[in-house]
Amino acid sequence: MADFLSMYSIQHWLESCPQGYLTDTEYGHPAGESEPDFVLSDPLLRDQAVGATVQLVIGERCALAASSGLINSAPDEASKRYLATQTLDEARHVEIFTQRLYDLGVKKAELEETLRQLGNPNLVRFAEILLEKVDKKDFVAGVVGQNIVLEGMAFSVFEMMYAGNQALNPKFAHTLSGTIADERRHVGFGENRIGSLIREHPEKKAEVERMQRDMSYYMLATFADSFRNRPAQEEMAKVRARMSGYGGPKAEWHGADLSSLAPAEMESLLADTVLKEFKVRLARIGLEYQTPVRP
Amino acid sequence: MSEALPLPEVHGLAHEAFLEEVHSFEFWFQSVSGYLAGRPYGQRPDLVDEPLAPDRRERLVTVLCNYCVGETAALEGASGLVAIAPDRLIQVFLSTQVVDEGRHLEVLLHRLRQLGVTDMEAEIAKRASPALVHFKRRLLELVASRDWEAAIFSQNVILEAMEFTVFQSHARTADPVTRELLQGIIKDERRHIGFGENELGRRLRVSPHIRARIGEVKRELDHFVLDSFEETLRELGVPASERPELGRSYLDAVARLGFA
Repeated sequence: MADFLSMYSIQHWLESCPQGYLTDTEYGHPAGESEPDFVLSDPLLRDQAVGATVQLVIGERCALAASSGLINSAPDEASKRYLATQTLDEARHVEIFTQRLYDLGVKKAELEETLRQLGNPNLVRFAEILLEKVDKKDFVAGVVGQNIVLEGMAFSVFEMMYAGNQALNPKFAHTLSGTIADERRHVGFGENRIGSLIREHPEKKAEVERMQRDMSYYMLATFADSFRNRPAQEEMAKVRARMSGYGGPKAEWHGADLSSLAPAEMESLLADTVLKEFKVRLARIGLEYQTPVRP
Repeated sequence: MSEALPLPEVHGLAHEAFLEEVHSFEFWFQSVSGYLAGRPYGQRPDLVDEPLAPDRRERLVTVLCNYCVGETAALEGASGLVAIAPDRLIQVFLSTQVVDEGRHLEVLLHRLRQLGVTDMEAEIAKRASPALVHFKRRLLELVASRDWEAAIFSQNVILEAMEFTVFQSHARTADPVTRELLQGIIKDERRHIGFGENELGRRLRVSPHIRARIGEVKRELDHFVLDSFEETLRELGVPASERPELGRSYLDAVARLGFA
């Protein structure tokens, strides 16, 4: 374990993250980049961007509370130090996505009210299930919930958003690329550290698997709400078409062109991708994936 | 982080904008750039480690083990404070402090490894000062009780001022490698103390009655701090006649922060 944890040291984090892919960035993107005019000038697209970013802030606030809360229940010093880096990663994500809300025109005084109004209740419930485990100082369930389920979901959502924004909104795509690099590290820690703890505590399996099933249900419900009620979808397709004489720039992710998918197809692609990843990662740490009810 | 970035000029900012700037990840990132770049584990790679006589090495190991207890308290305290922070900006600042404290622990453990210690946990448990262990337990109790003012006072004023005083004193006589890593830690402690002073100062202006509660906590914790000073200074070979001086330095530092 000692060797694996050396890959998750603060020194390693300093060299790869602040001194690596965050060099010369400001709120996660190169200085001077801004939200594109077509987003800021179209109320429908701006509202959609605000709504999506609100969910990111809520997810990251949950991750910040969970990673800082897990430090005191970590069974060894090296895990505590790793979680210190994850705490700061999550705080940075809260900061950069909050900044995006400001960039999109949300006033600072209205931030909390905007989050309250637009936050998806299913995402809030998803977060509550995880934070209940953290509050009980249940390290094994907390790390599975945080570093496998929450981070696994965030990783795929960010990747999909990155693919969709790369050509249309480089500023947001750059912001996402740093968070994707962070999430990859977090998922890696979860997989590597928890496997041995699950072997030491087989009695925890059933409870942790139940938590995964419940969190997965609320995750799918959040996806359903996001994709099934999306008035800006048509508007976005028009923007893509305007940007090229031949149907707009492609946004490829997992072999599909996101710009040509219907919302239901996009929801299904995202959900299937995340659940497949869960299955693989959970098997690696010795847990059996529990299929959630589809909302 | 290859080059130190110029820190933004913050003192001309309006109060709210000032807090937003100095509590941000961006501010932390620019602050640490200058002194962490090119110093893996807090040391320049070309710094030559001087051989230590066995008794000096032994005393240094004991002192570093106790610094690890203090930094573990700071790491667990700061991470617990994230959950009870009154606003998001403070949560972000405390997250930078969490990683600072984790880094301190890591560089101290690395130094112990350089000094030939193999089983860190056992060595720390064996050499830990009882007064410091009591302090840690009390600090974490205050954090767990969600007593924000008492907890932030204990963590960012008492503990940080204690570490600042001891590390500054130790750095003056330490071997070059230990000195360099302590100097890097001291730079972080200044930022943490500044936060504690600012945060409590604002609260005291609005709610002066909390001063009495803070005074109680101080009286309770001073005793542990001064006892652990005594033990650390003895290990560092400071003559008994000079030891009260450091205790006074600590009390003066806390008094300068407005908590006599």
